[in-house]
Amino acid sequence: MNDMTPDRDDRIANLKGMGCARKRVEDVRFTQGKGNYVDDIKLAGMLHGDFVRSPYAHARVKSINTDAALALPGVIAVLTAKDLEPLNLHWMPTLAGDKQMVLADGKVLFQGQEVAFVVAEDRYIAADAVELVEVEYEDLPVLTDPFAALQSDVVLREDLAGQDSGAHGPRRHHNHIFLWEEGDKDATEQVLDSAEVVAEEMIYYHRTHPCPLETCGAVASMDKVNGKLTLWGTFQAPHVVRTVASLLSGIEEHNIRVVSPDIGGGFGNKVGVYPGYICSIVASIVTGRPVKWVEDRMENLMATAFARDYWMQGKIAATKDGKITGLWCHVTADHGAFDACADPTKFPAGFFHICTGSYDIPVAYVGVDGVYTNKAPGGVAYRCSFRVTEAAYFIERMIEVLAIELGMDAAELRAKNFIRADQFPYTSALGWEYDSGDYHTAWTKALDAVDYAGLRREQADRVAAFKRGETRKLMGIGLTHFTEIVGAGPVKNCDILGMGMFDSCEIRIHPTGSAIARLGTISQGQGHATTFAQILATEIGIPADSITIEEGDTDTAPYGLGTYGSRSTPVAGAATAMAGRKIRAKAQMIAAYLLEVHDNDVEFDIDRFVVKGVPERFKTMKEIAYAAYNQAIPGIEPGLEAVSYYDPPNMTYPFGAYICVMELDVDTGEHEIRQFYALDDCGTRINPMVIEGQVHGGLTEALAIAMGQEIAYDEMGNCKTGTLMDFFLPTAWETPNYTTDHTETPSPHHPIGAKGVGESPNVGGVPAFSNAVHDAFRAFGLRHAHMPHDHWRIWKIANQLGLHG
Amino acid sequence: MDLQDEILIPTPIETVYAALNDPEILQDSIPGCEELIKHSDTELEAKVTLKIGPVKARFNGNVTLNPEDPPRRFSLTGEGSGGAAGFAKGGATVELEQQPDGQTLLRYQARAEIGGKLAQLGSRLIQGTAKKLAAKFFSNFSEAVQVRENS
Repeated sequence: MNDMTPDRDDRIANLKGMGCARKRVEDVRFTQGKGNYVDDIKLAGMLHGDFVRSPYAHARVKSINTDAALALPGVIAVLTAKDLEPLNLHWMPTLAGDKQMVLADGKVLFQGQEVAFVVAEDRYIAADAVELVEVEYEDLPVLTDPFAALQSDVVLREDLAGQDSGAHGPRRHHNHIFLWEEGDKDATEQVLDSAEVVAEEMIYYHRTHPCPLETCGAVASMDKVNGKLTLWGTFQAPHVVRTVASLLSGIEEHNIRVVSPDIGGGFGNKVGVYPGYICSIVASIVTGRPVKWVEDRMENLMATAFARDYWMQGKIAATKDGKITGLWCHVTADHGAFDACADPTKFPAGFFHICTGSYDIPVAYVGVDGVYTNKAPGGVAYRCSFRVTEAAYFIERMIEVLAIELGMDAAELRAKNFIRADQFPYTSALGWEYDSGDYHTAWTKALDAVDYAGLRREQADRVAAFKRGETRKLMGIGLTHFTEIVGAGPVKNCDILGMGMFDSCEIRIHPTGSAIARLGTISQGQGHATTFAQILATEIGIPADSITIEEGDTDTAPYGLGTYGSRSTPVAGAATAMAGRKIRAKAQMIAAYLLEVHDNDVEFDIDRFVVKGVPERFKTMKEIAYAAYNQAIPGIEPGLEAVSYYDPPNMTYPFGAYICVMELDVDTGEHEIRQFYALDDCGTRINPMVIEGQVHGGLTEALAIAMGQEIAYDEMGNCKTGTLMDFFLPTAWETPNYTTDHTETPSPHHPIGAKGVGESPNVGGVPAFSNAVHDAFRAFGLRHAHMPHDHWRIWKIANQLGLHG
Repeated sequence: MDLQDEILIPTPIETVYAALNDPEILQDSIPGCEELIKHSDTELEAKVTLKIGPVKARFNGNVTLNPEDPPRRFSLTGEGSGGAAGFAKGGATVELEQQPDGQTLLRYQARAEIGGKLAQLGSRLIQGTAKKLAAKFFSNFSEAVQVRENS
C-alpha cells in the first residue's frame, strides 16, 4: 500500500481537519474592519438610550425630576423605576438566585448604578439629557470592605430585611449572602492540629474586570405588527437571554429572536443580564421604535460585572519532609451590591473547590462566605472557569508559602505531591473526579526546558552580588503547575436558571458536498468558525473550507448555553463530533447501497467510504451527499442532516506547567520578564495555531492582572479605576515574549479527547507572574504580598524588607 | 484631599474680614461663580461652573459660615452637587493675622471629599486643579479688596 501514502497525505491535508494550523477564517473580516458588531447595527427610526448613573456609592434617592430632560428637543422618554414597576421590571433576577434593581428603587447601592434611562433621537441628545435629569440624593454610610460589612449595623439590602435565608441557605447577618461549604471540616482541622508543619496565609485575589475591547450593548426592536421582538446584543449566551427575556417580559419565546453578532471579546463580562438590555426592550415596546444602548468605557468598568475580590485564608499541613497532609480554606467573597455572580446554580462559589490543585491532598475543607458591599455586582469568570483562577492562585501561593516554611525548593515540593499518572481517574478530597493527567511528565519537561537548576544557581549568585552591593536588580523564578476544571457541564449537577448546561450542534450537508453547522455557542474571538469546521472535517470527510459555522441567532441555531468557562470545545465541540458521527452513519448506509455491499462491508477513510479490503472501490463524501438528495434509496430518508445535544458525562481537566523568570529593580519597582515558558496540556489539539493565540492572549491578561490591573475603590466608594488611564491594559510595549509548549493527554470521556484551552493561560499565568515577584524577595524574608504587583507595590515590598538601605 | 496655604493681602484685617463676608466680592473672586446668594449672615448659596480635566459641570452648593472669633478666625462647611459630574463636600478654617506693616496674613486649611465622575476622571488632576483654583481665588480676592479699599 506504499504507493497510496502520498495520496492519503494529500487527502488529509486537503481536509484541513484536526491538528492542522489552519488560518482563522474570521480574520479576513476582522483585520479589514469588516466585522459586524452591535454598534454597527443601524435600523430605520432607531432611538438611542443612555443612563443617568449614581455618583454615590450608597444613598437614598429622594426625588427624580425629569422635566428639564423631557423638555430638551429630541428626547422621547425618560424611564425611572416608577415606570418599570407596573411591568414588574424595576427589579430583575440575577443568575445567582438574587435580584437586582434595573433602575434605582428608593436607593442606590454602588457608584455607577443605573438610576434613569433616557431615550432620544440621537446619542448626543441622550447624553445631554442625562445631564438635565435632577436627582436628589441623601448619602448613607458606605461599606467597601467585606469584613467591616459583616460587622456593620448599616443595612445595605433593605429589600431583604428580615430574610434569614437566601438562595444558598442561611444568612447570619443582614449583609451576609451565604456560607457555602465543601469537604470534611472536622477531619481537616484534626490533621492541622496534629501536623508536623502548618503554613498559614491570607491570600487576596483583588477585584479586577474583564474589560473587553467592545463594551456591552444591545439593540431592541419590537415589531408591533407581528408581535415579534428582535434583540441584538453582546451576549455570550444568546439562548439563555431569549429564555430570560421571555420569562421577564411575558412575550412568548417563539416571538423573541436574540442575535449575538460579532463580539469584540467577552471574557465573562457578557454572560450576565444587565439593566441596559431590559431598558432597551421596554423602551422599544413603549415607543414602537428600535432602541440602541451601548455603554462607554467608564460605564463598562464601573457598573458591569467585575471578577475576583476573594479574601482567601489558607492553612496547609505537611510532614517535615514535605508530604502535604491537609488543606483548609475560608474565603470572604465580596460580591458587591447584588449577588450577580454567573455560576451554575448549585455552585455559589463556582468550582472554587478545585483548590486542591494538582496535588494529592488526602483531606480538605473549603468554606466561602458571600458578602454584600457598596461595590458593583458581578463576580464573573474572567477568562477562567467559575472561580477556578482564584482556586489556582490560592493553592499555588500556599505551596510557595509552605516551601518557605519547610525550607524546601518549591519545584521539588510540587513534584513530591503531584497526583501520579497511575492515580487517574482521581477523586479529590473535595469531590471532583479528575479525568486524566500526567503532571510529572509535564513538570519535568518544563524544568528541563528552562534549565531550572541553572536558573537557581544564577539566582543564588545574584543574591550574593546584591548583598555585596554590585547590583540593584533581583531575579525571581515563578513556578506554577495548575489544574483547571472546565466544560460545564453535566446536566445532573450544572444548570443556569434551571437550564441544563448541555450544548448542541446541527449539521446540514448540501447536495454538492459542502455544509453548514450551527452551534449553541457564540464566538467572541475564540475562532469557532475555524476550529469547529476542523472537527467536522475530520469527522465527516468534508474539507473545513467547505463548511460554514454559524452561531448566535436563536431563530436558526440549536439551543445551547453559550460560550464561557472554556466550555465550547468540551461541550459544543463534543456535540459537533457526535452530530458528525450521525452524518457519517447515514453516509455509510448510502455508500453501501451505492457500492452494492452490506453496510458493514464499507469503512470510513478520510473523505470517503471504501469497500473493506478493496480500496479502489469507494464513494467520496461529495458523491454520497449528492446521492442523499438526488437518488431514491430504499429505506433511507432523503437528505443528510443531523442534530446532537451533548450532555457531558464529566468536566475536563486541562493542566499546565508555567515558569516565569523576572528581573525586578529594587529601587524603582519596575519589572522585566526575561523568559516565560508555558506548557499546556489541553488533550487533543484541534488547531495548534489557534491554541498558541489563545495562550498568548490569556497570558497577557494574566500579566495585566498580576502586575497592575485592578478595580479599586476609595473609602467613599468612588471607583478609582474607571478609565484606561488607571485600569491597566497591556499593550505591545508591556507584553513579553512567550515560549509555548505542550504535552497531550486526551480526555478519556470526550468524543475527540479535547479539553479546552482558552482559559488555562489566565489560570496558570497569574500565579506564575505573582510567584516570580515573591520568589525574587524570598531570600530577603518575603512570605506573601498582595497583588497587583505594580511598580509602587513592588517598591514598597523592597522598602519594607529594608532593601533601600 | 487636603489643601493649605497662606497669602498676604495688602489691606488691614477688618477690611479683609468684611470682604470675606461680602457676596459681591466673593462672587467676583470665585472662579466660575455665576451666582452667589446670601440667605443670612451665615448661609450662602452658590452656582459655580467648573472644569476639571475632561469634566465640566455646574455645581449648586450651600455654604455655612461659622464666625468663631471675628475678625481673626472663622470656619466654613459646604457641599455642592454637580449632577452627573459628581459632588463635593468639605470644610475650611481661615485665620487672619494683622501684620505690623498693615498687611493681613490669611492662612487656610481645607479638606474636601469628592465623589462621582469628578473623583474618577479627575483624581489625577483634582489636587492640582484645586490648588490652582484656590490661588486664583485669592489673587482675585486680593485685587478686589484693594479696589474696594481705594474706591
